[in-house]
Amino acid sequence: MSVTVKKEYVNPVGKSVPRIEGKAAVTGQLKYAFDVSFPNMLIGKMIRSPHPHAKIISIDTSKAEALPGVRAVITAKDTHQIKFGSNEYFFPHTTDQMALEADKVRYVGDELGAVAAVDEETALEAIKLIDIKYEILPHVVDVEEAMKPGAPQIHDSLNNIAVILPVNFGNPDRMLKDADYVREDRFYAPAAHQAAIEPHVCVGQWETFSNKITLWASSQAPFKCREALAKTLKMDLNDVRVIKMAVGGGFGGKLEMLPMDFASCMLSKKAGGLPVKICYSREEEFLASRRKHGIIYKLKSGVNKDGTLVGITGEVIADGGAYCSYGPTVLAAAIMRIFMVYKIEHFRITGYRVYTNTPISGAMRGFGGVQAGFAIESHMDMLAEGIGMDPVEFRLKNITTPNMTTINQMKLTTNGLKDCIEQACKAADWEKKQGQQKEICRGIGIGIAADVMGSKMYKSHESAGSLVKVEEDGSVYLFTGAADTGQGSNTALSQIACQELGVSYSRIKCTSGDTEITPFDTGSFASRVTFISGNATILAARDAKIQMLEIIALDLKRNVEDLDIVAEEVINKNDKSVIMSFDEAVTLSYSFKYGRQIIGRGSYNPKTTPIDFRTGEGNVSGSYGFEAQIAEVEVNKKTGDVTILRLYDAHDIGKAINPQSVEGQIEGSLAMGLGYTFMENLTFDKKGRPGNGNFAHYRIPRSLGTPPMTSILIETDDPEGPFGAKGMGEASLLPTSAAIANAIYDAIGVRIKELPITPDKIINALKEKESNEK
Amino acid sequence: MNKITLKINNKNYEVELKGQETLLEVLRDQLGLTGTKTACEESECGTCVVTVDGKAVLSCITMAQAMEGNNITTIEGLADGDNLHPIQQAFIDTGAVQCGFCIPGMIMASKSLLDHNPKPTRKEIEYALDGNLCRCAGYLKIFEAVEEAGEKMTSKKQ
Repeated sequence: MSVTVKKEYVNPVGKSVPRIEGKAAVTGQLKYAFDVSFPNMLIGKMIRSPHPHAKIISIDTSKAEALPGVRAVITAKDTHQIKFGSNEYFFPHTTDQMALEADKVRYVGDELGAVAAVDEETALEAIKLIDIKYEILPHVVDVEEAMKPGAPQIHDSLNNIAVILPVNFGNPDRMLKDADYVREDRFYAPAAHQAAIEPHVCVGQWETFSNKITLWASSQAPFKCREALAKTLKMDLNDVRVIKMAVGGGFGGKLEMLPMDFASCMLSKKAGGLPVKICYSREEEFLASRRKHGIIYKLKSGVNKDGTLVGITGEVIADGGAYCSYGPTVLAAAIMRIFMVYKIEHFRITGYRVYTNTPISGAMRGFGGVQAGFAIESHMDMLAEGIGMDPVEFRLKNITTPNMTTINQMKLTTNGLKDCIEQACKAADWEKKQGQQKEICRGIGIGIAADVMGSKMYKSHESAGSLVKVEEDGSVYLFTGAADTGQGSNTALSQIACQELGVSYSRIKCTSGDTEITPFDTGSFASRVTFISGNATILAARDAKIQMLEIIALDLKRNVEDLDIVAEEVINKNDKSVIMSFDEAVTLSYSFKYGRQIIGRGSYNPKTTPIDFRTGEGNVSGSYGFEAQIAEVEVNKKTGDVTILRLYDAHDIGKAINPQSVEGQIEGSLAMGLGYTFMENLTFDKKGRPGNGNFAHYRIPRSLGTPPMTSILIETDDPEGPFGAKGMGEASLLPTSAAIANAIYDAIGVRIKELPITPDKIINALKEKESNEK
Repeated sequence: MNKITLKINNKNYEVELKGQETLLEVLRDQLGLTGTKTACEESECGTCVVTVDGKAVLSCITMAQAMEGNNITTIEGLADGDNLHPIQQAFIDTGAVQCGFCIPGMIMASKSLLDHNPKPTRKEIEYALDGNLCRCAGYLKIFEAVEEAGEKMTSKKQ
């Protein structure tokens, strides 16, 4: 009785093994929360505000409750009215949202209640019968209007500013005064949407007599969802089970409990314990999930003729929408990422996170870094041009280096940024092309970036836990709290477990993100899972291995320190002689004589220091990842159309656990970056409603016109990373818009400072350029 | 109530229609064939693609009533017993699957393409899949999967 062992999957780290759930995915057997169904299940719908800003005077639900087929109606009066938020640990005052608002609504779509009925039609009919009286308040949609004195006050914060972050080092004013060249620019990066293909969906069930909740969720952070449910429902953590099903994409939009998650549980309770499913429509997805912050990024910087970047100042204004969500930390990331990339000693940027009566801004892949990347990397090219220096040379002069501490106390250890730039340039033939192809309207542009792998955002620690079990037949289980949302963490973590345990990847199965049966994990964000959950998994696999080796040592009277399991065999480390097979070792563990279960455990919390948000100081991540990207474009001056000839992406990922997955992350990021550069712009009408909230009008990249992409994996073998690996998945998205904008400038000499880059903006800029030249 | 018979994956299903149910609703809600997904229910995302008489069709805007007498194939009907269809295998091998939510629709659209054109050019693949949104993979590995599957399907026939 033993499992099939595929030889090609021995030593799986570094190999492009197939996805662990691949067969289920391609046959339609992979189960998403969207597919969860029970025979007695009710359908829930949210009651939403039609007004952008209003006081709630009264809610009469009696007519809806009387409608045949309606099983439950809930409003704030049925709840404990406890607020929740996502930056509670660092910014407690930004805990500002109620699952169902009691006194006031702050955007069109704000949740006031929910209905559960036997089917969707009845639930929608019931919503129409809810009678709500409002006192309409003046509202504000534009972020700069919202900051003016006298603007409608959305929460109890002065001028609607929820958070001010002044990040200040050295004396930038003096440096700018003495600099050889100074320039000032204003950039705008608009609101956008994660647009995961699977909308938000959940099924909640409240076993009323045993007082236990189960939520089948589409979540990037099931343990965070559990925490918010337990808090707002006044339950113990072990009363709440959140089961992350297969997740149809997250990109930051599924990091938080939404009112729908809360409502499905409350509705279930009121309906006597029947399960309640709530599925967002695509319109609701755009209206009432989370979105990307639109950001105004103002920069004024100085350089010396030799290319030294002497000082940066600026202002960042982030449109937060109606509630804070992850906004304060998104703002911080939008300001402070630069320290990982450039050596700077004199710096002052003040950030403002501002409320408006629009859908809630939160986390989206890149976490403020995409907007910042567009501004900073465009600005850097313009500074280089001001002193007549090649953009690559300028960057090489100012980038961070290995083993340095940044001005804000980030400890950069392995740093492949220089290598990334050089490899990308070599692949793209930078020297031959830069500035050389204007007559055919072709250009080349660069952008660089860096990213964390983990960051303490919503609680005091960001530990991950793993369990590795070896069964009697030699098959292996990995239990991890980490949430695979499609990035492939179940696969990568399984590879890591098998590598450390010394067995073939074909032995393992993985269960992830179930708060009742897997260890804790903070979730899939900040590109943290490979690094943090990977380290926890190594520890668990090592623990399991040592348990097996101890039995062998006992049985054969050897020293456990002399033994190891490598490539399916128990060996003597000293002379590499084979002692027994892995299967024989398993049989020994579960023998009549020993009968010992093999259950390895691992818990890992990265060695970081908390960030002090008053100063911007702190070593937020256990290591840092780096990235250089080059875009080659051709512009049609008559139509304003831009064709991407190729994108090159060189990425310091430490070590590729699964090269195919790494490439997939890079290509997916580049596609998302192309979308944000050319088409994605979530607009709002006068009432703050999405002006283009569906896939017909909010265009995301499609097949046609997908450009060729070259991924270059730079392996710096990080000493703290699992098998040398760093996290990745977000960095490749950060410099894309700027690399393209810089390439367009190289091609036709016009500078687009507001995304998205559309043909009419290019035509207008060309016209302006022409008239200036006359 | 209106009783019809639908032929899905070579099996006949008796279905009772209340009114204007779409094929998608019948597949997922009545027959429990949840392999077919949806992400917009308004023909913009391609997640719900099945084939009808070999042609890719958006099940979210196809009336179930109109499908009587047609051969409907869903993702559940593609594998041959325990053996994956070459397109399914190619999607795994090339790393085209990330979150997987768009994959059933993507594979069914690819099937419709490759059954009619086993050696499509890259441009033909881009056109055939342009109605299918993917937010994870950036399409390149999906194109590779279709090309690889096309080659395998051709050599199998020969």
